Amino acid sequence: MIAFVIRRLLGMLLVMFALSVLVFLIFYSTPGVDPASRIAGRNADPETLKQVRHDFGLDRPLAVQYVILMKKLFITRDLTSFVNRGAKVVPQIVDAAPVTLSLVFGAVILWVVLAIAMGLAAAMMRGTFVDPLLMIIGLIGISMPVFWLGEVVNLITQSRLHDEFFSWLPPLGYTPLTEDPEQWFLHLLFPWITLSVLYIGFYGRVLRSSLIDSQSEDFVRTARSKGLTERRVLGRHILRTSMITFVSLFGLDFAALVAGGALLTEVVFGLPGVGKLTYDSLENLDLPIIMATTMYASFFIVMANAVVDILYGFLDPRVRVA
Amino acid sequence: MSEVAAIGDVGQQSARVVGRSPWALAGRRLLRNRSALIALAGFIVIVVACCAAGWYADSVAHTNPFVSTVDGTTLIDGKQQPVMVESSGGLGLGVTPIGPTWDIHHYFLGADSQGRDVAARMLYGGRNSLIIGTVSALLCCFFATLIALIAGFFGGIVDQILSRVLDLIWAFPVFLLAISVSTVALTSDIPIGPITLSAGSIWLPIIIISVIYVPYVARPIRGQVLSVREKEFVEASIGLGASNLRLIFSEVLPNVVTTVIVFFPLMIATNMLIESALSFLGIGVQPPDASWGTIISDGQGLLYTRPWVAIAPGIAIATTVLCLNVLGDGVRDALDPRARLRVGRR
Amino acid sequence: MRHYRKPLAIAVALAVAVGAAGPAVAKTSGQAAAAKAAARAKLMAEHRGGTFTMLAKGAGGSLDPQINYTLQYWQLYQSTQDGLVAFKHAAGTKAFTLVPDLAVALPKPTDGGKTWTFKLRKGIKYSTGATVQPRDFLWTFQRIFKVHTPTAGGFYSGLVGADKCLKTPATCDLSKSVVIDNKAGTVTFHLVKPDAEWLYKLAVPHASVLPWGTPNKDMGTKLPPSTGAYMFTKYDPNHELVLKRNPNFKQWSVDAMPDGFVDSIVQKFGLSVEAEVTQVENGQADFLFDFPPADRLNEIGTKYPNQVHINTLFADWYAPMNVNLAPFNNKLARQAVNYAIDRNAAVRIFGGPKTAVPSCQMLPPGFPAYVAYCPYTKNPGSGKWTAPDLAKAKALVKQSGTAGQKVAIVGANDEVTKGMLTYLQSVLNSIGYKATIKPLSSNISFTYIQNTKNKVQISVSQWYQDYPAPSDFLNVLLGCGSFHPGSDTSINISGYCNKKVNADMQKALQLGIEDPPAALKLWTKVDKATTDDAAQAVLFNPRLIDFVSKRVGNYIWSAQFYTLVGQVWVQ
Repeated sequence: MIAFVIRRLLGMLLVMFALSVLVFLIFYSTPGVDPASRIAGRNADPETLKQVRHDFGLDRPLAVQYVILMKKLFITRDLTSFVNRGAKVVPQIVDAAPVTLSLVFGAVILWVVLAIAMGLAAAMMRGTFVDPLLMIIGLIGISMPVFWLGEVVNLITQSRLHDEFFSWLPPLGYTPLTEDPEQWFLHLLFPWITLSVLYIGFYGRVLRSSLIDSQSEDFVRTARSKGLTERRVLGRHILRTSMITFVSLFGLDFAALVAGGALLTEVVFGLPGVGKLTYDSLENLDLPIIMATTMYASFFIVMANAVVDILYGFLDPRVRVA
Repeated sequence: MSEVAAIGDVGQQSARVVGRSPWALAGRRLLRNRSALIALAGFIVIVVACCAAGWYADSVAHTNPFVSTVDGTTLIDGKQQPVMVESSGGLGLGVTPIGPTWDIHHYFLGADSQGRDVAARMLYGGRNSLIIGTVSALLCCFFATLIALIAGFFGGIVDQILSRVLDLIWAFPVFLLAISVSTVALTSDIPIGPITLSAGSIWLPIIIISVIYVPYVARPIRGQVLSVREKEFVEASIGLGASNLRLIFSEVLPNVVTTVIVFFPLMIATNMLIESALSFLGIGVQPPDASWGTIISDGQGLLYTRPWVAIAPGIAIATTVLCLNVLGDGVRDALDPRARLRVGRR
Repeated sequence: MRHYRKPLAIAVALAVAVGAAGPAVAKTSGQAAAAKAAARAKLMAEHRGGTFTMLAKGAGGSLDPQINYTLQYWQLYQSTQDGLVAFKHAAGTKAFTLVPDLAVALPKPTDGGKTWTFKLRKGIKYSTGATVQPRDFLWTFQRIFKVHTPTAGGFYSGLVGADKCLKTPATCDLSKSVVIDNKAGTVTFHLVKPDAEWLYKLAVPHASVLPWGTPNKDMGTKLPPSTGAYMFTKYDPNHELVLKRNPNFKQWSVDAMPDGFVDSIVQKFGLSVEAEVTQVENGQADFLFDFPPADRLNEIGTKYPNQVHINTLFADWYAPMNVNLAPFNNKLARQAVNYAIDRNAAVRIFGGPKTAVPSCQMLPPGFPAYVAYCPYTKNPGSGKWTAPDLAKAKALVKQSGTAGQKVAIVGANDEVTKGMLTYLQSVLNSIGYKATIKPLSSNISFTYIQNTKNKVQISVSQWYQDYPAPSDFLNVLLGCGSFHPGSDTSINISGYCNKKVNADMQKALQLGIEDPPAALKLWTKVDKATTDDAAQAVLFNPRLIDFVSKRVGNYIWSAQFYTLVGQVWVQ
């Protein structure tokens, strides 16, 4: 176990290092991205430009700039944004994280429960009209761009039907759980629904397929021959081993979302989470924040995959992750 | 059940039974699957319609959907009316394109913010979307399966390295790359060996999308490979002296291929949508060319007035994916006899 | 000025107005002033209180008044910071008048226009409680160089010794040119040469006063001390910016820094523009800083007409063409583009005829020296644009020999600009070019199109006036001195440099001091000449649409700083 943990930690460091270098290189090889003139302000004269460049260390060689950036991000933790000058990057992420976590946890509960229900129902009722109906509903879900769906939800709940049906819905934004639980819930209700719609269809289909595959396994035949009902067979015996694909996907998606992958949902619903931070930093080409959010993302992703690998052992005891 | 009966008849008709290859059996099963055939037909109709885009635009709608006609007019209810209507109420602010006329010869689905015929653009756009969506999904599933098989089967250091590479890809800030690549390609086309790619080349989004989703398909399959690797029939094959290659491709792969088949149409839908984001950032389909994704993106700016511009491509994507899903199910059922025999119903 | 950014070069015509404003102000009778004050007091009693909520897509950057260069915060600084002089808080073009602010009166320069002495008001306090001292001004002007104010070189290099300050800001010492007399309570500026625009340069936030000892580094998100009616109390660039009443403020001049009606102003960040419009419609916010999206214009124009304000701007949307690069190094090709563009179509893409007016020339209507002139239309002669002339355009392209060439149109990737780019692509294709569009992130696009290294052939850009002087459009955008090859800041985007026209421009600047009417005549001639040379294709003059919530009252539009946010009331 210790060896496993150490191996994974090493792997994480390698991934983060490689990513940081890639991000840095990509940023600086983009033409027109030179921060100096944007920092200096419109129509700054050449002297001012030179001074600004020197102040921000932009006239040093790239390798030196990289080291300084990393040092400021991880060691001294006083890295500041290029665009909102003086605003420290790390506290921004720390402030934004609870918002994203709130969004993701709610959506996750919703989509996991519904996807499992959908997958089970589709597999159990294979051959009836329920199966294709659920499939169609799921497919509509994944064919909608999240940005569009979010805007439509806003159009209906905030604009067109706001006064008639949705006057209880607060305006877009976020209220911390510790401040006002009811408002926290109401602010997040539609973002949860919007975000989970995209995943329910995918996960439902995947689970249905895994369940159907498992039904032909030998241990299932054994369970059936013991006289267990189909429902028992599915629920207690098949479901667990069928969850491998489901859980693998989940690890990837959960990590990506927590790390800021829900950026379009956050943007549309005005939630100031890590995703919105990422989105703004891309719009503004704010390297410090881009770097910080990428590092944050890679940490979660490697961690999540390690946890999933451990989970494989629980779901299917035959599996040993070498 | 008929196959079981046929085998049972061997004793009586041994002289005349002709053995069929598994593929032929699969094919027959597929042909008997009515919903799969309907889905296949549906998909073919979509492809043909998109190929006929040129004919539709020239002969039926008489429009050029790549030219901005902000001041154009068209025939609605027998009168020539402007395609972009200036607001006449209140303060007279804003200009709204016409909505769907449901007249197949004149702006069937209405106009977009440049006054172009949305229906014609949908057909042209289908070509780009179908190509980008299916090719990238194919590449993605292919490479993902390959990587998953190798990583899951061999384990150890090979698995470690491949898994970390997958982590790297999954954590990669794709949109930063997209902005960078598009700006670079703007100044000068990108040479890759003998080929030069311009920002408008559809190979850019195909490559980018297939690469970034490899982890998404590879990790679940790797998980399955880890599971299948431990099964008895694999041990049996090892006992028989099978080489690793044979084990991977003859024993493990067939057991994970059903998952790949399920993933494939789902990835097509996802890829078509990601393509729109990339195109917005300047990679891939460039104006005035269209894809379903770019039409959705155009429709974002018309959501409050002309929602059909965004809904139509969404329906198109959903229908295409639905057909492929049903077809995929049919193929999976046809290839795996056990699945059908075990289930007690139809 | 580019929208939301302000490079200020100053008006000569206005300098004349300033000179005239002095005695005019003094002539205002005591009776009229008292009546005005009483009326205002009544309004104040009725409407005082409440919070004015503004929405903006994102924060405006550093809060340091000597660094920030965005309209978003300059709109707020006019209610929080004071300089020696200020633009009058009044409606429309009345806001171009300068009035004394921290100074007692507008001085007449001596020594041939090189020396300006200001007598300071006494007893003005900062929000921190400290009193404004004469030596604060020395600190303020030295700080301009130490923190690298964007306009340090452009505006304030006229001070004696400023050139040394530009080169080595760390040791900047302006005590010889910003002379403080504590006993007399005066500040005297010594300039290297006469500057008729010096007062304007003192009226912008970059020259607003800060206490002696303010650290010489970018304040960033720290709150600056204020002398105005409001002060900043909170700044979180991801959430909001909060202003509250300055407890140490006592109104001394209703024109320069009036007391405000609302108790607090909050600017919230983070919503999409569509969401902002919806919130203002629902009364959940009072004002949005961003332009309403095109698909909401009809909605707000029909459902909420009383809450919409359409304001005339002195601004252009135009397409500069690179005169040093094929195919637009050929004048016939540039003229062809001008003939081919259907400016009505461009106006429609922008939002319809109520939101913009087609134009062929740089100077906007109503501007000093403006005389309607448009040769690029069917049936020219009236000076107005009526219709494109595609036939002529195609002929010109053929004649120029540039037909069939590849052209890339560059611009920002926001909805409206992208629509313009797509439309222009269609036009260029129709006259014989092979056009593609390159929309870039708006953060890159403006500097990208200026840098000649990027070989941009044609782009789409905007320019908003800073002050009503023809030089702001013509000399800044088309003067040889504004062209810096290879630099990210080369605002003469097309690289146009016509020696004769340039000489005329410099002469007009000179004449502005000696013989203003002659100067205006010369500027008209320059406007005509540059339109004929077609270094750009001007598309239209946009209007600004402000959408406020139902409860907002006393909405005043100032031609200088646009919405006077410090003057609205909400109850």
